[in-house]
Amino acid sequence: MTCSVLIVDDHPGFRARARALLVAAGYEVVGEAADGESGVRVARDLSPDVVLLDVQLPDITGFEVVRLVHGEPDPPAVVLISSRDASDYGGRIVRSGAQGFISKAELSARTLAAVLEGNRR
Amino acid sequence: MTRRRWGLAALAAAGTGWILGAEWVSIHHGVPENHLIDAVTGLAFLAGGIVALDRRPGNTIGPLMIAFALVSYLGNWGNIQAPVLPLLGVIGGQLGAPILAQIALSYPTGRLRTAFDRAVIGVIWAASAAVTIALLLVFNPRAGGCARCAWEPGPLPSRDAFTTALWVYQRAGFVLVPLFLAAVWLRWHRATRAERRALAPLWVAVSIIAVVYLMGAFASPFPDADPFAYLIWELQGILQVSLPVVFVWGLLSTRLARSAVGDLMVELERPLPPGELQASLARALGDPSLELLYAREGQDGWVDARGRPGSLPRPGTGPQARTATVVERPGRPLAALIHDPALDQGLVRAAAAAAGMTIENERLHAEVRAQLEEVRASRQRIVEAGDRERRRVERNLHDGAQQRLATLALSLAMIRDCDGADPATAALIAEASAELKQAIDELRELARGIHPAILTEEGLPAAVESLADRSALPVRVRADFEARLPEPVEAVAYFVVSESLANVAKYARASSAQVEMTRRNGTLRVEVLDNGIGGADAARGSGLRGLEDRVAAVRGRFCVQTRASGGTRVLAEIPCDG
Repeated sequence: MTCSVLIVDDHPGFRARARALLVAAGYEVVGEAADGESGVRVARDLSPDVVLLDVQLPDITGFEVVRLVHGEPDPPAVVLISSRDASDYGGRIVRSGAQGFISKAELSARTLAAVLEGNRR
Repeated sequence: MTRRRWGLAALAAAGTGWILGAEWVSIHHGVPENHLIDAVTGLAFLAGGIVALDRRPGNTIGPLMIAFALVSYLGNWGNIQAPVLPLLGVIGGQLGAPILAQIALSYPTGRLRTAFDRAVIGVIWAASAAVTIALLLVFNPRAGGCARCAWEPGPLPSRDAFTTALWVYQRAGFVLVPLFLAAVWLRWHRATRAERRALAPLWVAVSIIAVVYLMGAFASPFPDADPFAYLIWELQGILQVSLPVVFVWGLLSTRLARSAVGDLMVELERPLPPGELQASLARALGDPSLELLYAREGQDGWVDARGRPGSLPRPGTGPQARTATVVERPGRPLAALIHDPALDQGLVRAAAAAAGMTIENERLHAEVRAQLEEVRASRQRIVEAGDRERRRVERNLHDGAQQRLATLALSLAMIRDCDGADPATAALIAEASAELKQAIDELRELARGIHPAILTEEGLPAAVESLADRSALPVRVRADFEARLPEPVEAVAYFVVSESLANVAKYARASSAQVEMTRRNGTLRVEVLDNGIGGADAARGSGLRGLEDRVAAVRGRFCVQTRASGGTRVLAEIPCDG
């Protein structure tokens, strides 16, 4: 079964590349959002399997979005992404309840699958 | 002797003649009263009034006391069988009480301060005036058997009405005395500590006199016919002597205070420690709450002896009320004494004049301290602005270059994953990807050096843990707090640890290091220890010198020591509560 993905990132160029990369790898990108609040709303409306979520958003932080999304019934898996390194966020990534973290430059079908399988944080 | 003094002497002589003459008239007509007490009371008020006129020319207390002394004897003179004098005697009998009440409530300034005070005195005067008018209308001297006397009766002569009016006035004491006592209590309640100290004897005296007047409300208005009324009347006379005594005592206490100003001058002959002048002035003026502010040089504003900004108080009333006496030197403010409004202005100015040179010196000290404080605050603002700029640059790198490079990395990954590329192209793409990854890592490290995101996100302990993780040698981190600290404090502490660990890695030849962070009594203590060769010196290394400046900018303390057991100890203590 195809895995549906919602991309939440405020950089259109990155969203377009990520969409193309994931679609090429067989993922179904069901939607995009450019800020945290619309990301929460679209996640509620579309019920994707995975939310690929930028930590630094213009309105609320990615960590706040994870908390809101997890407050919904049957929440999707959330994978945090950032151009920074995971170490720049200390223990917040683990505490946020996200499935894992991928540095933006390292995003690929393989790294996403690894995180979703629980092998990578 | 000045003309004014001559005038006062003439007034004293005339007043004494008026009082003694009146007593002679009373004795001659066989009026049953204690003439000695009567004369002493009048002379005491006359003397007190003349002293008050001399010392406080613009104050109404003096004229009121003299008026009391003079009107009290109109009744005595009324015994002379001459036209008008008996009528004046009738008037004089009702004027003493309102004058006394006004003196009591307006002491020491001569002004009635509150609307309630004015209302109470107004009511007492109105009652006296109403009774006086009634008495003048019904006055009937012949009803007492004086068939041949020269006294003219009033327009509606009636002995019964005359007696009734006097009874009514006597009984009005049931209302008027409690009203007066309420006004005295309110003044006490609103008074400052110094006012209470200064006015306590007067208020005790007037309260006792008021209570005697209240007792008089139970008595007959004719003291010669009722022993109890006579006793009350004489008691009033004796107690009223205390009022001029208390007032003169008030003047003398000002003189005593002036001698304290003399002591102050002696005290100021030797140099005072900086900031000690305020305490000396407070002692000399008897106002422990006195504060001393100094005018800034060439700008508006005031500072205390330590150079901290201060402001002059707004006018107010009550125990917390303060007033400012500004000391000036040719046309410009020099200092301001903020003190209890009850203090004698002349005394305050005398003390300020006595301390003139010391005030000048302290003002210069305060000016230097204020400028030092401004420099320190300016340095802190510069460091904080630098930190803000670092955060902005890091954020711009993150939002701009790092995002673009990440997107570029994804594009290269997509091209690399496409089928059909020849081996040479694939090799070039792989090489570009590796170069790009290197650039991204270097840019990330640069951004982290400018301002670590983890410090903003997670606070100091986590940021230092992250530093330790990336350090080239093992670093043990211990922090006894988790709460966030003010941003400037976190930034300074982080850079102390960051620079110190970098130095350990570069120069110390250490095998391990240790970071201790403790928060006690509003101070963050950051200690970086290593087991290397020691010898670090903040005076020589620009990095350590920079740290010393940063720590000083947030009013902290920084030192670098070579430990006796070997290695270096870097210690920063930074105030972190407000």
